[in-house]
Amino acid sequence: MPEVKISLRQLSILTALYTIGSAILIIPSSVANIAKQDAWIAALAGLGFGLLILALHHQLSRMYPGTNLLQMSEKLLGKWVGKTVNLLFLVTLFLGGPVTVLYDIGSFMIIQILPETPIQAILLLFGAIIVLGIRLGIEVLARSAELLFPWFLLLFLSMTVLLLSIVKWERAMPILEHGTGPIFPAVLSFLSIAYLPHIVLLMFYPSSVARPQDAPKAVYIGSLLGGGVLIIVIALTILVLGPDLAAKSAYPSYMLAQKINIGNFLQRIEAIMAVMWFITLFFRITLYMYAIVTGISQLFNIKNYQPLVLPIGWIMVSLAVFIYPNIPFKHDWDKRIWTPYIIIISIGLPLLLLGVHGVRNMFSKSPGKTS
Amino acid sequence: MKRISALILLNLAVSLLLSGCWSRRELNDLAIAVAAGVDKVGDRYRLSVQVAIPGQVASKKAGSSQAPATLYTAEGDTLFEAARRMTQISPRKIYFPHLRVFLIGESMARQGIAEILDFLLRDHEFRTDFFLVVTRGVTAEETLKIMTPLETIPANKLFNSLQTAAKAWSPSKAVTLDELINDLIKEGKHPVLTGLEISGDRNIGQTKENILNIYTPSQLQYSGLAVFKLDKLIGWLDEKDSRGYRFLIGEVKSSVGFERCKNQGKVVLEILKTNTKTKGKIVDSRPEMDIKVYVEANVASVECRGLDLTKPETITELETRMEEKVTGLLESVIAKVQKEYKVDIFGFGEVLRRSHPRVWAKMKEDWNEYYFPNLKTHIQVDYTIRRNGTTGNSFLNELKE
Repeated sequence: MPEVKISLRQLSILTALYTIGSAILIIPSSVANIAKQDAWIAALAGLGFGLLILALHHQLSRMYPGTNLLQMSEKLLGKWVGKTVNLLFLVTLFLGGPVTVLYDIGSFMIIQILPETPIQAILLLFGAIIVLGIRLGIEVLARSAELLFPWFLLLFLSMTVLLLSIVKWERAMPILEHGTGPIFPAVLSFLSIAYLPHIVLLMFYPSSVARPQDAPKAVYIGSLLGGGVLIIVIALTILVLGPDLAAKSAYPSYMLAQKINIGNFLQRIEAIMAVMWFITLFFRITLYMYAIVTGISQLFNIKNYQPLVLPIGWIMVSLAVFIYPNIPFKHDWDKRIWTPYIIIISIGLPLLLLGVHGVRNMFSKSPGKTS
Repeated sequence: MKRISALILLNLAVSLLLSGCWSRRELNDLAIAVAAGVDKVGDRYRLSVQVAIPGQVASKKAGSSQAPATLYTAEGDTLFEAARRMTQISPRKIYFPHLRVFLIGESMARQGIAEILDFLLRDHEFRTDFFLVVTRGVTAEETLKIMTPLETIPANKLFNSLQTAAKAWSPSKAVTLDELINDLIKEGKHPVLTGLEISGDRNIGQTKENILNIYTPSQLQYSGLAVFKLDKLIGWLDEKDSRGYRFLIGEVKSSVGFERCKNQGKVVLEILKTNTKTKGKIVDSRPEMDIKVYVEANVASVECRGLDLTKPETITELETRMEEKVTGLLESVIAKVQKEYKVDIFGFGEVLRRSHPRVWAKMKEDWNEYYFPNLKTHIQVDYTIRRNGTTGNSFLNELKE
């Protein structure tokens, strides 16, 4: 594989966009559904727990700088066990990650903006730029992230400022009406979309970063930035729409953008605001796919991952059409299957690897060196 | 060969990308709905949609023969079905995102409006920024037939006049879909909607004759607030009570009030700013409400003699009397709603829920039947008169007979 390096700044931006990802569209309603007006508390707590999860990931990456997650598990678990684990990881992640996020953007488009367009047309076009992006490599992706991030920030900040005039603080009252009970499941729901999937980032950092020793810091900065954006979005949906409507709406952030009306003049700009999540969802899917494609090429010892991109992209697009039979199934899936799954691979797997590492260290004096 | 295939590929790509969206609808394919109204006929919904005719609106020439808007009406077992059935009479598919007002017939409102609201919220073509209004004493369909002067499209008249009335004259309330639904879902608050009447001769109102002369025989006029128990209309508040209601929920931006002088005549005050703070408390395990209203006003006109506006005492006295008057206004509307309707439209339950969530959880079952009708309210009005306009003492004082 050609040697690619991205800068720390680029890593931060990629992490931020990855964190915001599809969460900006779906997180407000799923968190408000559980925690009602305390959703923002859940989001704040989620940020805290998210940093703990990142710390765990960094712990793992620090042991073997220069290797990615799959190489690590192969090294620690042995060739065959490692490869089996990796294959399972990649296949399930493929089905649960990029395919479902692509489904999200497709269903958003046909529910809110283009109801009569076949979903295939949207998925195909969106899939095409993803395939193009991955073929060009992580460096190009990182640079385009750098270019697009200011636009995202501009849209996000203008949305926030334009909505400030209709914020009503009493919508967030009373604080902790139902006690702290519902906060925990809400935090879990927040984490499962926002921070637990960060394990995927271990596929290209620190090994593809220019200064690997500083990579964790860059990831922290990006995660904090992304988490901050999500907290603001959740708080705005509560303060502008109210917890009930926020929980009922399929896409509360889009509904927020619809509420913008400055003097009957600056209004109906929701389609422009939607560009915001086109950017973040693009990077979310692309980073997932990049991790999966490079992972598969490693698994089968293929030198260049590029020939794999198009076929896997095709599979992704076609699967995204029917991955969920209907929307309630998706909600049920997110709650009952995705959350435990992502906990297993994002907390269970690193803990397993760290454990094996510790056990191995006990038996051999020399700890594993980089390959 | 390679060149040619590359060209073909490029062509394919371009035609795929540049063909635009599937769901595109050009401006001349749209029938832009500006107002819609729904009535119930037996078990069926009767949907009337006022569609703007762009050519008539754009032309500056007076005396064009066609009306600026047209009305399509269709019946259906469901609202959505009625909307689609409308294509049988409309040459174009109705386009709803530019809807300004949605009228609900009174008789339909009495039977419940929740079912139609779900459609409005779920369908992607409806935004949430139009106003919902109940037509009082008439069907929604009939209301939409009235021609209006000044704003050629009646829907625009309805929208603007409700917005202005809610701002400058307090009894009307502009309610959008999301606010209404929030009120419906919220425990401890029941919704209200503004009523709309046809005044004058309806038969003339439906013809162009209505706007031919300076005098308009028939007008669309907002009047009173409709009180809902959940989604069913149960009664009306008159203008005075409606004002009191809007004072209580702190929505009055500007309005006019007066006080009788000691002699004959009145002092008129223009309200510039109001602020209402409601706090719930528990006294002897019973809920009570502390309502603090702050009003800032100017003297707008003096219609009596002997009022000495140069003295601060006069102002103080006027303030005290206005405070009593506003307190009376608020007390009377609370008492009326408590006695007659027994539904908490003021959101007192909501206030209590915010400050005492645990107590509220116990009371919410019996709130409307027991706690709300017996709720004690302490109203404290702080009325401040700031300025008295461009003149000092009224010249009326100097008039000698």
